[in-house]
Amino acid sequence: MAIIERPGSDTTPAVVTASQSLGAVKRPVETKGWKEWLFTVDHKKIGIMYGVVAMFFFIVGGVEALLIRLQLAAPNGTILSADQYNQMFTMHGTTMVFLFAMPMAAAFANYFLPLQIGARDVAFPRLNALSLWLLIVGGLVLNASWFLGGAADGGWFMYAPNSGPVFSPSNGVDYWILGLQIAGVASLIGSINLIVTVLNMRAPGMSLMKMPVFTWMILVVQFLLVFSLPVITVALVLLMFQRSYGATFFDVSQGADPLLWQHLFWIFGHPEVYVLILPAFGIISEVLPTFSRKPLFGYPFVVFSGASIGLVGFGVWAHHMFAAGLGPVSVAVFSVATMAIAIPTGVKIFNWLLTMWGGKVWYTTAMKFAIGLVMLFTVGGLSGVTHSVAPSDTQQTDTYYIVAHFHYVLFGGMVFGLFSGFYYWWPKVFGKMLNEKLGSWNFWLMVIGMNLTFGPMHILGLQGQPRRMYVWTEARAGEGMFNLAFWNLVASIGSFILAVGVLVFLINVVYTARKGKASPLDPWDARTLEWLTTSPPKAHNFDRIPVVHHLDEFFHRKYEEDTATHTMKKIAEGEDLVRAEEEAAEKDIHLPGPSYWPLVLAIGVGILGMGVVYGVPIMVLGGAIVLFASYGWVLEPSVAEDIDFDPPSTDGSTKEIAPLG
Amino acid sequence: MSHIDPVLTKEKAIDTVTPVKSSRRRIVTALAGVSATVFLTGCATNAPQDTFVPKGPNAKIIDDLNMIVFPIAGVVGVIVLALATYIFMKFRDKGQAIPAQSHGKPYVEITLTIVPALILTVVGVFTFRGIFDLAETKDTELIINVTGQQWWWEYDYPVQADQGISQPIISSGQLVIPVGTKVLLRETSRDVIHSYWIPALNGKKDAVPGRIHLLRLEADEPGIYAGQCTEFCGLSHANMRMEAVALSKEDFAKWVAGQQKAYTAPAAGTLAAEGETTFINQCSRCHQVNGIKDANGKPIISAPDENVYSGAAPNLSHLMSRNTFAGAMFDLVNEECRADVWNAKSEEFGAKYLAGVSEDCLNEKDLRAWLRNAPAMKPMYADPSNLEKSNGLYRGMPNLGLTEDDIDKLVAYLLTLK
Amino acid sequence: MAETATHTADHASDHGHHSSTGLSNNKLAMWLFLGSECLLFGGLISTYMLYRGRVSDGPHPSQIYDIPFTSVSSFVLLMSSLTMVLAVTAAQRKDDRRTNLWLTVTAVLGATFVGGQVYEFTTFIREGLGFTTSLFGSSFYSLTGFHGVHVSVGVIMLLSTVGIIKKNKITGNKAEVVELVGLYWHFVDIVWIIIFTLVYLIPA
Repeated sequence: MAIIERPGSDTTPAVVTASQSLGAVKRPVETKGWKEWLFTVDHKKIGIMYGVVAMFFFIVGGVEALLIRLQLAAPNGTILSADQYNQMFTMHGTTMVFLFAMPMAAAFANYFLPLQIGARDVAFPRLNALSLWLLIVGGLVLNASWFLGGAADGGWFMYAPNSGPVFSPSNGVDYWILGLQIAGVASLIGSINLIVTVLNMRAPGMSLMKMPVFTWMILVVQFLLVFSLPVITVALVLLMFQRSYGATFFDVSQGADPLLWQHLFWIFGHPEVYVLILPAFGIISEVLPTFSRKPLFGYPFVVFSGASIGLVGFGVWAHHMFAAGLGPVSVAVFSVATMAIAIPTGVKIFNWLLTMWGGKVWYTTAMKFAIGLVMLFTVGGLSGVTHSVAPSDTQQTDTYYIVAHFHYVLFGGMVFGLFSGFYYWWPKVFGKMLNEKLGSWNFWLMVIGMNLTFGPMHILGLQGQPRRMYVWTEARAGEGMFNLAFWNLVASIGSFILAVGVLVFLINVVYTARKGKASPLDPWDARTLEWLTTSPPKAHNFDRIPVVHHLDEFFHRKYEEDTATHTMKKIAEGEDLVRAEEEAAEKDIHLPGPSYWPLVLAIGVGILGMGVVYGVPIMVLGGAIVLFASYGWVLEPSVAEDIDFDPPSTDGSTKEIAPLG
Repeated sequence: MSHIDPVLTKEKAIDTVTPVKSSRRRIVTALAGVSATVFLTGCATNAPQDTFVPKGPNAKIIDDLNMIVFPIAGVVGVIVLALATYIFMKFRDKGQAIPAQSHGKPYVEITLTIVPALILTVVGVFTFRGIFDLAETKDTELIINVTGQQWWWEYDYPVQADQGISQPIISSGQLVIPVGTKVLLRETSRDVIHSYWIPALNGKKDAVPGRIHLLRLEADEPGIYAGQCTEFCGLSHANMRMEAVALSKEDFAKWVAGQQKAYTAPAAGTLAAEGETTFINQCSRCHQVNGIKDANGKPIISAPDENVYSGAAPNLSHLMSRNTFAGAMFDLVNEECRADVWNAKSEEFGAKYLAGVSEDCLNEKDLRAWLRNAPAMKPMYADPSNLEKSNGLYRGMPNLGLTEDDIDKLVAYLLTLK
Repeated sequence: MAETATHTADHASDHGHHSSTGLSNNKLAMWLFLGSECLLFGGLISTYMLYRGRVSDGPHPSQIYDIPFTSVSSFVLLMSSLTMVLAVTAAQRKDDRRTNLWLTVTAVLGATFVGGQVYEFTTFIREGLGFTTSLFGSSFYSLTGFHGVHVSVGVIMLLSTVGIIKKNKITGNKAEVVELVGLYWHFVDIVWIIIFTLVYLIPA
């Protein structure tokens, strides 16, 4: 778990002595086939796997959403029973938040953060792999409930006491707790890893204020995670103790206060909202400048507004509880704090618009999604301001108006940001351009679908349709052409258009893989360091660690200012720069070898978790695997034996320079 | 910079990155216009739970705030979206040179920070006042205890001499209040968290077990105001509805008198009298009817056993004075009579409501179906085969396996509970 | 990986081994982890503070705490921080023998504390305070139990470190490994001081 410095000439006992962990298991060296992926510690491969997993769960969550909309297309729907519907919306929310949005952000962060700061990998590559496998185990545990007696049915917020053993007797909530607990550990490990990476491993010359905004936003997100995840962990532990071991935490007959859960949940839950949106903000803060051919307007303001959103985000949790009976003083304070958070958010919107102002704007699909984000997020942000007025919120909360709001910010905001990232960085990751024509279809179908789905929900909510109802009745739908029945139907139709839009993306992926054009090295005339290498990047990222002089270093290596006109003149092509790096490549670059232990440890944690439901023997088995894997991990040598390499390494003297993680 | 810009040539190499076509632009503009129009005119009329139709002073406080914040949000939204549209039309790549790499202007930033801050300060001041106005409880004129449980509400009117309530009234299905009276609901719950929401009268407030939360309601005019439980409360959350009935003060006094009227047993030998026996045998363990006596002339006090989670079922005394049953999921009156009451003019409303449910008006279909097999009508943890799943506790009304004969008798009996 | 498995002696700085913060990656990560742990214990302590007076059944806190006993075991834990410091100093002097000695002593003191806690728990259970008895019981056992698990994990870490040092299998800077374990150990110790004050000393 260490980055090992070569101990100079002073030869204390050799830093690396063991070449086989536990004297039995060698460090693997696989570079081919499935082992290449299962045991990898390469941040790029891990990033891609995060993306695949997240996309899978995006589809799962999307199908759940479509079932929900089918059920609600007409009054008294019969597609789903009440019980199935409650499971469906619970799992839709949980899946989208924990198994799609966070992992997809992690995919981008894992892949691009080291590249953007000119590093060869993250600080702890093995921990990075562990995060991925734990996330997958968590996602499997969570979704295993579908096949083991029914999924959780208490909503993603899982309010006590409805989540207690009496009111939710199936094991669904238990799997939900375990799945989130495991995914939470994964996120915590990942966040510590990324913070250390950003703080300690930037290329020479890259001061914090020369970091790309994406990296900045990811950094803020990781801090939010480090300090908010332990709170949900406590909440989940309390609930688990109550459900599985008879503790009384949310048992009102014992004098418990159900609001404890709400506070714990939202102290986590609100920062979580920014955990979801800030990576997308980061992505479009790369995309907008690139395709406007201008630096981000007000870089320091965007950075500080991101940081202050993160900070204030910890102080507004109770705005989810305006109807929960907090008393007027708390409500007033949280109401005002919530308004305050709109200010840095507004700053970002204006800065993005001003980035395009006076630019030379190039409408690629990535740019369309980025602009889509700016516009749709504005709508969602403004409906957010209307909830910050606490009395108004008591009319709005738990209605479809809220559903409209957070889908505008999360779908229109976050998802559009992520899709912008797909189109922008796809050539970097896979060396092929996603098809722009399909991309255009993808974009417009999603814009139309999204507005048709979530736009009407504003009306539905303000005209009194609550959320989380498995049926709605015509008796409360009003009259006229545009009654609530009409808008429910429109929303359902819209959701299918949206689904087609996502499908077009998947088609585009397949099409690109089969027939896509090879991408030039610098297809977008980009600005940041990740483009100063091949596409896809080599395992070691950079042939030579770049020395940074500017914000937007890559751009400034390509362009110089014409002093007369103040316009920019190209002095080098991206290809030339990459070639120059290759020519000056460092000859001996060392990377950590693959490892079995992240996968083994994650499986052990999964079994340990299942022990909560299936009893102590299973728990003991899981615990034993965890312990065994931990020792294997600690004792694992920094690299495989020389003879295990292909071709065998001949000079073993310096291999200890490795981030082991 | 000019036509030799290598970026431009590269652009052409990438399959179809073309400037936005003007026809498409027109479509977009048209779409935007249409959607704005739809949004402004596209609302349902007479939606019973419309949050923009306040019918009392509390809801009016909220509506006044809405009238500040919604227009501000709307105007800001239109400005930002228009600006965005303008920017991405105007600064399209038309072959211009790569612009100077300016990093922003602090004074613009500061202005753009201060302006929203000022706007929000104004909103904040009004919000503050609204919050404290809505929290006012001192001048309350009528107190009603409201208890939520899966999946209905119980209304308990404690003794309040100045309102003519000389013995507690326990009701469910419809909250009856006098107009122009400051009513304070004291909410709690017997099981999970519910939320009480009559949009026309006030925002929502959660009913949390172990806590008492206060919510003020006041209606300006007689009428029925619809609501819905708005905190997810399990299986039949969607079916947990409520209706607040506002009566003129005189009519409210009549209603109170009606609720305090002594029980009259049905005349011996009638179908209803047989129904009373069936009721005593089948229903009275959970459902209280005040004044009902067993064969020995002893008053029957309902006492649900430990198999019923909440330990309570709706009190059915004066059932036929209400228009709904089963947590306001079903109407007790048929459609025609319901429309007659709901659409009654304000001055006629009270009389029509107080007439109660006559035999002609009774919604026999749903009532019989409910008596026949309640869990089939409303998802509940009340199916004996599912009891294991719910830890052996009924939540909701089980299927009592009544015969059609029993049901005939019961309906006849229930009709006597005026 | 084979393509990159060639080595160099002079690119250490390129790896970001020069750390921008002046802290090694490991130490920075440990600090972040401990920061996160603060909120974990913060949540558990808050829960306890909310519920400590809520006794629907079973004994009340004031009836059950044995302050002198817990003070002694707290003192034992406090002393283990001292021995931990000695171990770290020895490790920095590259004195393996003393490092192992002090690590072992620290582990023994920690184990003594855990033993005391086990004794305390069994006594409490005998006196009628079960995990499920009351809100006070549930939150007391959760908070102190969580802490106890942290101490136990620490003991395992200490003993493992001793073993690894003895077998000379440590992968990394030995002094730093000991220091990292020390950081964790001190943190757990400080948390106990807070718990001891809030739970035992301040009356409910």
